[in-house]
Amino acid sequence: MTPARFLDTRQEIWARLEALAAKAGKRTVRSLTDEELHELTRLYPAVAVDVARARMYKVDDATQRRVNQIAIAAHGLLYRRKSSRSLPMVWRFFRHDYPRLFRRLWAFMTLATVLFLVGMMGTYVATRIVPSYAYLFVPQGLDVSGAREVTSEDISERFRQMPNSPMAARIMTNNISVAFVAFALGITAGLGTCYVLLANAMMLGGFAAHFANHGLSYPLWSFLAPHGVLEIFAILVSAAAGLRLGLSLAVPGSMTRGASLRAGAREAVLLVLGTIPMFLIAGFIEGFITPSYIPGIAKIVLGVTVASVVIVYLLFVGRGIRSSNLESRNKSKTEEEAK
Amino acid sequence: MDEFDIIETPENVDLQRRLAGIGSRFAAGLIDHLLIGLMLAALIVVTLLFHVNPIVLGTDLAEQFGAVAVAVLTILFFLIYWGYFFFFELWMNGQTPGKKSLKIRVVRLEGGAITFDSIAVRNLLRVVDVLGFYGVAGIAMFLTRKSQRLGDLAAGTVVISEDVPDYAANSDSKQKVLDDQPVCGAALTATRLTPQEYRLLHNYWLRREQLTIEARRRLLPQLMAPILTRLGESVPADSPAVLEARLESLILQREGAPREEAVPPPPTQGDAPQAEGEDA
Repeated sequence: MTPARFLDTRQEIWARLEALAAKAGKRTVRSLTDEELHELTRLYPAVAVDVARARMYKVDDATQRRVNQIAIAAHGLLYRRKSSRSLPMVWRFFRHDYPRLFRRLWAFMTLATVLFLVGMMGTYVATRIVPSYAYLFVPQGLDVSGAREVTSEDISERFRQMPNSPMAARIMTNNISVAFVAFALGITAGLGTCYVLLANAMMLGGFAAHFANHGLSYPLWSFLAPHGVLEIFAILVSAAAGLRLGLSLAVPGSMTRGASLRAGAREAVLLVLGTIPMFLIAGFIEGFITPSYIPGIAKIVLGVTVASVVIVYLLFVGRGIRSSNLESRNKSKTEEEAK
Repeated sequence: MDEFDIIETPENVDLQRRLAGIGSRFAAGLIDHLLIGLMLAALIVVTLLFHVNPIVLGTDLAEQFGAVAVAVLTILFFLIYWGYFFFFELWMNGQTPGKKSLKIRVVRLEGGAITFDSIAVRNLLRVVDVLGFYGVAGIAMFLTRKSQRLGDLAAGTVVISEDVPDYAANSDSKQKVLDDQPVCGAALTATRLTPQEYRLLHNYWLRREQLTIEARRRLLPQLMAPILTRLGESVPADSPAVLEARLESLILQREGAPREEAVPPPPTQGDAPQAEGEDA
């Protein structure tokens, strides 16, 4: 076969596949009819071979590029990852996948919690011993060292001055941003995540000690607890995601560093995205319940309860359910081997 | 200048993608960030209107409405700031308005359309890449073989160019091997061509790979029809393949015997020798 004949005979097939790829668009093969779909699967391998043949025959550059382009378009259509509709996907994610992911990454969660507790307790103890350390952590506006008696009402009053809904919106968005940053900074081998985690831990520890120094522990906690317990928990989860990302880069194990990073990032990003509903709940509580006139003890009970429900969800939901085909296949394989 | 990335397909054929350069990616980013800036600025103006507008501030009901509006605007602000790239890349299959205008697109490393989780990874890591006016991203792209920023590395994505440049306009002149050797008499007697005709055909034959199919279709009849008529052969109607085969056979008679062929050519091609370049 001469190059000219090659070009002549294949022309029609290229045009056909080009038309099919254009019809399907870059997005989906759903817009094709059954026959067209069949044609696509039949034509693509032939055109993929044409790419190699065009190189062999040294046909002109423009044609080589064109055939290559058609083959890439068809390849992209045929070999894409399975995608599903977004709403069922989100439902399935929170129904099984997210709690399972959380349990799989429990070690990172533990690591984040330990870091946070160490930072918080250290600061608390230090500030209890040397009260002036508090001013390293407590914003001047919240200074309670004045002679006047401060009650939980006074703390809540600051919040009451602002309408509820903008408050809730601001707190939600701000906290989600912190979670995203804690995750993203994981790319610094986890150091950035540790910074965010410790900065928050020390601020909380300093706060708690400062208020305790003035005998105001109960007002503080009755103010912080309703939203704070869940909020801190969600920050810990996103920090765990950052640590997962960072350690996958720092300690790749048997994988190449790049492959390890990609695998780590995939898990970590889902872990951090799953904290969004937690922040929404916490933000709602902080905007509407924290400033309300409910007795302090009820607020504390509410905060602990909400956080407990979330933790129970993460620890127990989705157990024993096979979430993906791959996992169930692996499972049945091991069962067979066990027999 | 152009850098290529290779996808290995299950068919064992390597497909080539052209990677987007730092320049076009930076320009696309500039456009996108300008758009984000415009949207946020518009939001701030609207927020201020709700706060300052005396009509809104007048009554209790209006104040409540204003508060809700500010809440909604706060959430919109957040969605634009964090979600602009995410939503556009999701909806436009790896493109944003900026990327679209520069004809570049985010694709998966293994080829094919970008997925939800990789879009999330690369755009959450943007907060790190953006440091120092995308300085971090620039350094990473400079150091990696496939011009990936940190977000791309973690997400397993590359940005490719879908712009098809006009290479023909500045094609490499070194490849134009023009025949200006004296033509040997034996070849001329064998083919009954004049030296001018021979040189014309030979030059076409040497340069044919650089011509587009359309140009070859157009040129071949123009070149061959007068010569074939003069030689007393019939001119095959509208079949560039046959014409080129005949041209090839005329030229190659000079090189001596036609080369061996693995597969005998179809009868329509006459005694055309096998094409050049298989062993290149």
